[in-house]
Amino acid sequence: MTLLFKGKIALVTKIILLAGISAILLMLAQSALARKEYAIALFLLIAVLAMNYVYLTSRTVPFKFFLPGTLFLAAFVIAPIIFTLIMSTYNYKTGNYISKQEAIQRVIALGVEPDEAGTTFDIVVGKTKSGELAILASDTTNNKYFISTKSERIDLNPADLTLNADKVATGAPDFVRSTSAQQASSDAYTKIKYVYEGKYFISVESLEAGAVFRQTLEYQPSTDTFRNLLNGTIYRDNGKGNYANLKKQILEPGWRAPTWFSNYEKLITDNHIRGPFIRVFIWTVAFAVLTVLTSFGFGLLLALALNKPLRGRRMYRSILILPYAMPSLMSILIWAGMFDTEFGAINNILNTHIAWFSNASFARAAVILVSLWLGFPYFYLISTGALQAIPSELLEAAAIDGASGRQIFSKITLPLLLQILSPLLIASFAFNFNNFNLIYLLTGGGPKDQLGGQIAGATDILISYTYQIAFGSNVQDLGLASAISVIIFFLVAGISLYGLRKSKVLETFG
Amino acid sequence: MSKWLKENLWRHATALGMSLFALFPLYLVVISSLNPTGSLQLTSFIPRNISWNNYKILFNSPAIPYLTWVRNSLVIAGAVAIISVFIGASSAFAFSRLRFRGRKTGIQILLLVQMFPAILALSAIYVIMERVYRFAPSLGLGSQAGLVLVYLGGAMGVNIWLLKGFVDSIPIELDEAAKIDGASAVQTYWLIFIPLAAPVLAVVSLLSFIGTLNEYILARLFLVEMNSRTVAVGLQQFIGGQYSQNWGPFAAGSILLSIPIVVIFLSLQRYIVSGLTAGSVKG
Repeated sequence: MTLLFKGKIALVTKIILLAGISAILLMLAQSALARKEYAIALFLLIAVLAMNYVYLTSRTVPFKFFLPGTLFLAAFVIAPIIFTLIMSTYNYKTGNYISKQEAIQRVIALGVEPDEAGTTFDIVVGKTKSGELAILASDTTNNKYFISTKSERIDLNPADLTLNADKVATGAPDFVRSTSAQQASSDAYTKIKYVYEGKYFISVESLEAGAVFRQTLEYQPSTDTFRNLLNGTIYRDNGKGNYANLKKQILEPGWRAPTWFSNYEKLITDNHIRGPFIRVFIWTVAFAVLTVLTSFGFGLLLALALNKPLRGRRMYRSILILPYAMPSLMSILIWAGMFDTEFGAINNILNTHIAWFSNASFARAAVILVSLWLGFPYFYLISTGALQAIPSELLEAAAIDGASGRQIFSKITLPLLLQILSPLLIASFAFNFNNFNLIYLLTGGGPKDQLGGQIAGATDILISYTYQIAFGSNVQDLGLASAISVIIFFLVAGISLYGLRKSKVLETFG
Repeated sequence: MSKWLKENLWRHATALGMSLFALFPLYLVVISSLNPTGSLQLTSFIPRNISWNNYKILFNSPAIPYLTWVRNSLVIAGAVAIISVFIGASSAFAFSRLRFRGRKTGIQILLLVQMFPAILALSAIYVIMERVYRFAPSLGLGSQAGLVLVYLGGAMGVNIWLLKGFVDSIPIELDEAAKIDGASAVQTYWLIFIPLAAPVLAVVSLLSFIGTLNEYILARLFLVEMNSRTVAVGLQQFIGGQYSQNWGPFAAGSILLSIPIVVIFLSLQRYIVSGLTAGSVKG
């Protein structure tokens, strides 16, 4: 057994494993580099170096244990946290999603217009004798034929050409038609502007058709501006991720541009964002507080009721723990089905026809009811544990001193319980603060006026609102969503640290 | 008699009332799964005509690749459960047993990191994995392997933290004895610690298995294709249309999925409850 961890076999296995993993990571780093994902490539490279250093030398024993966990945490927790922070300072949304370089290319590609007549030609793609990509265009209405490349246009005599029944040229001297395999494997043809007349050029629309265009927007790298070639308007980088003229008209698409605190500013100053944000925030706190209070209340009541030998106690306990043992995802979906207006059991039993999730108050009541169902067993379990932790001498002494059952509970049991359980109550508050699954799967955050462009619904909590901003609506605003995420993180971290301090205090006294 | 009533009536009333509340949706889903009309409706408390049709649909209908979804879920959650505990245990061991510079800072960072719910960084994870997809499609957005990697990262903080708590409770004298006998840290880890901690590792990996099965939104964002979905996402999408006829197979599917989890959970109750008081909240 010891041989497995010491000796030659172990060393060889170690080296083979290390070499294999290093090779895979290096290959990934190389392809990342090829795609210009420098940050990812750098991370992979550092990972390889660290791995080899740590496992081939014996200088850093603790790191032999840490490294895999640390790498995973760095890649999938810490990097996303940092990235969220960075994204929150960017104008990063639909229309401003790509890099500036890509945006410039796209604006140039989109900044063209067809000639007035909308001229199109039948074309054949191929190469000139010198190997340059070229098209053989047939102007069948005027009986004109020419070969065009990116640098020149050669007019042809129809008599020299092979024409088909529609008078379209399919072959010409000095023109090598490309095979269908070449056509399929190459989109190079569509990227070229083939010479036509003056400012006009031919763009390959499909491999059989070309259309005449001219450039209307020209990029000037020296000044980093776009110029409209028709009316001379200048578009400058407006610092928010778009080229804009003096009338603040912008060119699409824009790029993701650093705008510092503008996303945070929007939350405070922009009425369309501030209003829903504050409403959602209030409901989030109300939801989390109500959930913890009701679940704790019922859980404690149960714990008190079952805190002495009682016939059927074991059975009660097994049943009461079931909602907690069920996969919560399934339970939430089942509840969603039960609240269905047409087919749901709740309307059926109450003999009503309430559209539960179309009315804000009903929807909120439903959310609280379901979160009570999901949460009370947990509080029953921990309250039972805490009740047993209270020394019985205290209660007996109070009884001897003549305190009534009610007095003992309110003066001794409850304060002690709250002291023991407060860190867990706080943790539960923090958990429910971000209880995305419940809201998203039960009500979808609704009801909301979707046609009116409302993103935040009546039961949306901050985290589900963030999700709607980032992924749920037509405009995906990753920058704003990240800014709200950062705020939630500070709130939750603050709450959790407070809870932790409380439990530390307990440790020292306990 | 009246004393018994006064003492115990409210106890039974409370327990019975809450038990009914707890059981109601579960009972409903069971009878719905046996109900051929297939809605979550209550026609009567005792099902009149029992039919296994919903279960048959689940396994035979080509529109519902239920078994494929279950297999996907098992593979993903299984991989996360095993690998994350394998990796997490070594970090927890180091934090708990080895003395080195920066240990305290490390623990504090870990504490902060494990508080951060992965869902907060959803947009960032999405964008990062979208970029990974551009150079390594088999690890990026849309791949199960990519999803496993993200889950592993997300589970790492909590698992290390949880395992560290368990490691702290294993007597250090055993390690010290091994050290005196000339064992290196790596040997102590493999030959003393792992055998001792095996039951605990099993419990933590089962917990992270259940947690992964319960994860919805990352799985939804990552796995777009019908056949690569997890069972949770599959079933949710399946009833997304709110058509009554889909509830029957949904009920059947969720029962089949829930039974093993409930059994695992109830049999691990003792460990989980003690973990609860240590401050972890089940997701």
